[in-house]
Amino acid sequence: MGKTIIDAHNVSKTYKETMVPVKALQDVHLHIEEGEFVALVGPSGSGKSTLLNMIGGLDEPTSGTVFVDGVEITKLSENKMIDFRLQNIGFVFQSFNLIPVLTSRENIGFVLQLQKVPKKDREKRVLELLREVGLEEKVNSRPGELSGGQQQRVAVARALASKPKIILADEPTANLDSKSAGNLMDIMAKLNQEEKITFLFSTHDQRVIEKARRVITLVDGKVDSDVVQTPT
Amino acid sequence: MMFLKLAWLNIWRNRRRTLITVASVFFAVLLAITFRSVTDGVYENMIHNVVSYSSGYLQIHKKGYWDEQSIDNSFEADEQLSKKLLNNPKITYLMPRLETFALSSFADKTKGVMVLGIDPVSEKEVNRLNEKIIEGQYFESNNVDHILIGSGLAEQLNTKVNDTLVLIGQGYHASSAAGKFKIDGILKLGSPELNSNVIYMPLQASQYLYGAENRLTSLSIMLGKTSDLESSKRAVENTIDIEAYEVMTWKQMMPEMDQFIEADSAGHYIIIGILYFIISFGLFGTLLMMTFERNREFGILIAIGMKKRLLAYVVLLESIMISLMGCLMGVLAGILIVHLFTENPVQFSGSLREVYEDYGFEPIIYFSGHIRIFITQTLIILVLAILLALYPGFKILRLKPVDAINS
Repeated sequence: MGKTIIDAHNVSKTYKETMVPVKALQDVHLHIEEGEFVALVGPSGSGKSTLLNMIGGLDEPTSGTVFVDGVEITKLSENKMIDFRLQNIGFVFQSFNLIPVLTSRENIGFVLQLQKVPKKDREKRVLELLREVGLEEKVNSRPGELSGGQQQRVAVARALASKPKIILADEPTANLDSKSAGNLMDIMAKLNQEEKITFLFSTHDQRVIEKARRVITLVDGKVDSDVVQTPT
Repeated sequence: MMFLKLAWLNIWRNRRRTLITVASVFFAVLLAITFRSVTDGVYENMIHNVVSYSSGYLQIHKKGYWDEQSIDNSFEADEQLSKKLLNNPKITYLMPRLETFALSSFADKTKGVMVLGIDPVSEKEVNRLNEKIIEGQYFESNNVDHILIGSGLAEQLNTKVNDTLVLIGQGYHASSAAGKFKIDGILKLGSPELNSNVIYMPLQASQYLYGAENRLTSLSIMLGKTSDLESSKRAVENTIDIEAYEVMTWKQMMPEMDQFIEADSAGHYIIIGILYFIISFGLFGTLLMMTFERNREFGILIAIGMKKRLLAYVVLLESIMISLMGCLMGVLAGILIVHLFTENPVQFSGSLREVYEDYGFEPIIYFSGHIRIFITQTLIILVLAILLALYPGFKILRLKPVDAINS
């Protein structure tokens, strides 16, 4: 048994903004160990994004607790949560992840600057990360000059910049063609294997699901199945 | 540095919108500077005109003179003191005066008058008293029995140039003062009150008449038009023995003129306030658009570890950058315009010119180049930029990252 990195207990989330309250998550239990490569699947509205947001501390559960790397993040203040995310969690969203006015170098370096990493170390790390995602020649390109797949690879590089323990990716391949999607998944899988970073990503894409080693299916805000598989 | 760069890049995301906003700030600042420069210039010139005939910007008296304005409260002219005062570069002229009262008489007419003993040379240089002569001529230096009188007084006494006027009054330490004086010239002064009451005579002649040899009731001090009054007063006080003398500003001696300027300025402040109020809406609209169209981006930045207060700080920098760009350009253009019109003042012509001259004012629109005008406009814009960024900043601090990302 590896070290537990994500531990969610009885997590429920009900949105009350509408006339009829919407139960996005209902008593979800989730236990993920360090270094796992997990796909979160399910139909639209099943609660995948909500669960990722709870684990990333972007939203608070209506009830239940979430521990990340042993820290009960549901008890952290907003500022402490932001600091915790900066040091421990990388995020990749579906699209428009990057700051459009900054180059790839600056987008990745931004996180390192927030961490107050000295300039020399920052430059080295940015180039290292761009090399890892195969985009060292795009170091001075702005997001508008990159393809969707390249933008997502820069977003992954940015998520990795702070050397987080976990990367949460909300449908990272949804807007990519199959080749770019496959490419991105290969990079994520390689980083997971080589750097032991835990990946938890939501997806609809069957070809992406096949790359995961564990697949958790959510239906109507509940865990429907949790299957360990051999990735293809 | 990173945030400065980010803010700078952000404001150019929508180049046209930023340029329009910068232009609106530019025109507001330029208008405000020009307006303030003209109004301050007019006031400064008005003050200069009035004080050069009357009190000077500052006046030194024997302590207690202002409360009891008698020749007995005069003081002895001190050459050393004058030299020390003139060492101050802000002081342009010193005008020694002996101000007394007398009964004037010509034929069967008599009238109480103010007798001003003046230094003919310095008065000529400071207030161009010689140019006010409408009949006769300005007196030669310190002619003992020659005087100049206001045209109103000449009319009341029914006198003309070369007539001889008798003056009777009380001199220093209750001595009697009486003499006959030839009218060298008749003056038309701007102030009707002064015009019908004043007699100018050379200082030495008045000292002799009143038995107050080498004595003065006041030493008027002229300053540059834009010199700071209070600091100049302090500088003078540091030069003299404040146990023996008192120093007063024109504001203390002519509070009604100060109050008039204050009241008139209030209207100008309202006009400039309205101008900035209108500009604020444009700037505020730009800031709101810049903030709300980046809602999702803000959510993502919070998700990757940027604190909300840093985001609000970036928006504040953006507001300050846009405003200061317009402001600095406005100040530069303002400096050029003010410089142009201070070098080439606008001259009135026709009936307006006559009205100005009748009141003793130069028929010219002066532009004030006081640095305070430029600094004030810059500070107003800076404060506006900060105030206007408060609301977007507040919205950022209340932002829920999930809602922002899904927006």
